[in-house]
Amino acid sequence: MIRWLNLGLLVASAVALVGVYGVKFHSEGTAAERAALERQIGEQQRQLSMLKADWAVLVQPGHIEPIIQRHAEALGLQTVSPKQIKSFDDLPMRPDDLDPAALTQFLNAIESGVDPIAALIEAN
Amino acid sequence: MAMTASDEMAPIALDGGRKARGKLTHTRIRLMMLVLLTAFGLVGMRLFQLGNTVVDSSIEGQARDAITATRPAILDRNGIEMAGDIRVPSLYAEPNRMVDKNEAVSELRSVLPDLDAKWLKGRLDRDKGFVWIARELTPQQRDRILTLGIPGLDFLTESKRFYPGGSEASHILGMVNIDNQGIAGIEARMDRDDVALLQNLGFARGRDLAPVSLSIDMRVQHAMREVLLDALSRYKAADAAAVMLDVHTGEVVGLVSLPDFDPNDPRTFNDLWMGKKNQRFNRITLGRYELGSTFKTITFAAALDAGAIKMTDSFDARFGIKFGRYTIDDFHGKHRILTVPEIYKYSSNVGAIKIMQTLGKDNYRAFLTRIGFDDPLAIELPETIRSDIPKTFSDVVAATAAFGHGLSVTPLHMASAMAALVNGGTLLPATLYKRSPAQAASLGKKVVSEATSERIRYLLRLNALAGSGTHANKLADGYRVGGKTGTAEKVINGRYSSTHNLDVFASAFPIDAPRYAMVVLVDDAKPENEHSGDTAGWNAGEATGRIVHRVAPLLGIAPSFDDQLDSALVPPELRSDARE
Repeated sequence: MIRWLNLGLLVASAVALVGVYGVKFHSEGTAAERAALERQIGEQQRQLSMLKADWAVLVQPGHIEPIIQRHAEALGLQTVSPKQIKSFDDLPMRPDDLDPAALTQFLNAIESGVDPIAALIEAN
Repeated sequence: MAMTASDEMAPIALDGGRKARGKLTHTRIRLMMLVLLTAFGLVGMRLFQLGNTVVDSSIEGQARDAITATRPAILDRNGIEMAGDIRVPSLYAEPNRMVDKNEAVSELRSVLPDLDAKWLKGRLDRDKGFVWIARELTPQQRDRILTLGIPGLDFLTESKRFYPGGSEASHILGMVNIDNQGIAGIEARMDRDDVALLQNLGFARGRDLAPVSLSIDMRVQHAMREVLLDALSRYKAADAAAVMLDVHTGEVVGLVSLPDFDPNDPRTFNDLWMGKKNQRFNRITLGRYELGSTFKTITFAAALDAGAIKMTDSFDARFGIKFGRYTIDDFHGKHRILTVPEIYKYSSNVGAIKIMQTLGKDNYRAFLTRIGFDDPLAIELPETIRSDIPKTFSDVVAATAAFGHGLSVTPLHMASAMAALVNGGTLLPATLYKRSPAQAASLGKKVVSEATSERIRYLLRLNALAGSGTHANKLADGYRVGGKTGTAEKVINGRYSSTHNLDVFASAFPIDAPRYAMVVLVDDAKPENEHSGDTAGWNAGEATGRIVHRVAPLLGIAPSFDDQLDSALVPPELRSDARE
């Protein structure tokens, strides 16, 4: 009987040995995988921080102004004059006594290629 | 097995012949059990011990904790990044794992030629587990070192502070050293203030800290710096500075001091800036100056608020005032009797002294304390200085103080006082952090009455329309600037120089409902051309006008050319219908 018990214990310890070794091996594999993932995350975070820094540089007013200066001539860019800024409150109300006949005449004139308002502005 | 044997042998022990051997076996078994128990006990205790320790013993783990210490990003009031962290590789060595150190030195120097061979050899010869070789390398350098395949070398990803705006906001942000500790500006102040933050730094590994929002508007900051750079070349000035405050909250919207430095490049912190010195010196908070005639605004406010003078009063400015051997006279003297608004408009020293004398010198000194000139600056920068104002005024000192000489304050003190005088009379501590009007309301201190504030607004606008501020007003047409010039003779070798001036323009806009106060300094300016002068209106005034012209549309100030707005500023006692 003792012999059988011993045999049983022997087998059990052999199984346990294989089992423990397996677990250890597996955990080493997992640890390597984790390290690889961590490295990858670190690398991506690094790239992300670079891209963010790039973006931060690109949106700086100090970065944009020289670009505008460079292309101002080609694009016809100018600083807004205060006289060009108006609010909606400054617009006059539409006159109540709008003459439909005159409006039709005006639209017809534009269609035929004559712009009476442009002529008025040029005359001034 | 031993147990079973002893159990079976116990009755056998009675057999006399085997007694001695049985006893011996018994002792052996006991001994064996003791040894085994001790061994298992030891293993068990060790297991218990291991179970209770937190493992962080690897040198790499420790090092990474310390150096990837991140700092919070710094944003401007609209969310534009002013400072952030980028992650860069740093090279370290583990000398006790290296095989051929001489070879390692020569190979490393093929990639990093800047490294000194002797220094590197000495570093690697130490039998240590960890030494830095080179910090903050580029990704390309890292790849080339990796392909060398030297054992015992490795990289850590470090955080490096990066300032996307470069020099734009250098005096606000300050700088950090290679270990990411703030050494100037708000970076240093953040470290000093926030013990919690410092503690966080050690643990802030891979975890982003909440970004900090400043009150600065980078668009305004940029425009101010551009205009001041232009002023330096236009007026061949030595240096220039400007600060803009939100008058309702005390927030600093822009702060520029030239020369400055590039916080990304530590060399600019020590080298000259376009051949000029003092690039680290923040003229707005660390410089104190005799701000000249801009002080008359303070004198007028003190006298008006105390009721010592009325806007309708007149003072005799025909003759200079004698103090012993000295006579104080006017720069552009009218030499006639002047009304109160005229004294301000013509910037009459004699008139200002008479107004101060009507108020009384002790009352005047007390008002300077009330308007915050004796307080330390509240701004969150380590680079600040207190004002230099005599504790008590003698007659002469009080007289010169009435037009801004013989006492020096920082430009930020003046800007805060200007904000208080135009916003209805509430003095607010200046801040670099975002602050809502509600928060500001609990911090404000009433220093002058609403009525005084109204009259000061009128005087500032009057000076911009018909006095020394016309250049500023012309350039910022439509945005209703009001301001006062100050041209102070600089003290050179202990004497006032008549050729070297410090030109100041203290202003507020839009003056009918002020939102921003600004102080602009141009130091040692020359006339731009033969038709222009070298007094403050010509340089600091023009710079103010250019700044307002550029930033007012950005800040949402609608231009108006309505004369009604200006005539509405005239105080009731000066309106023609009131006099009739």
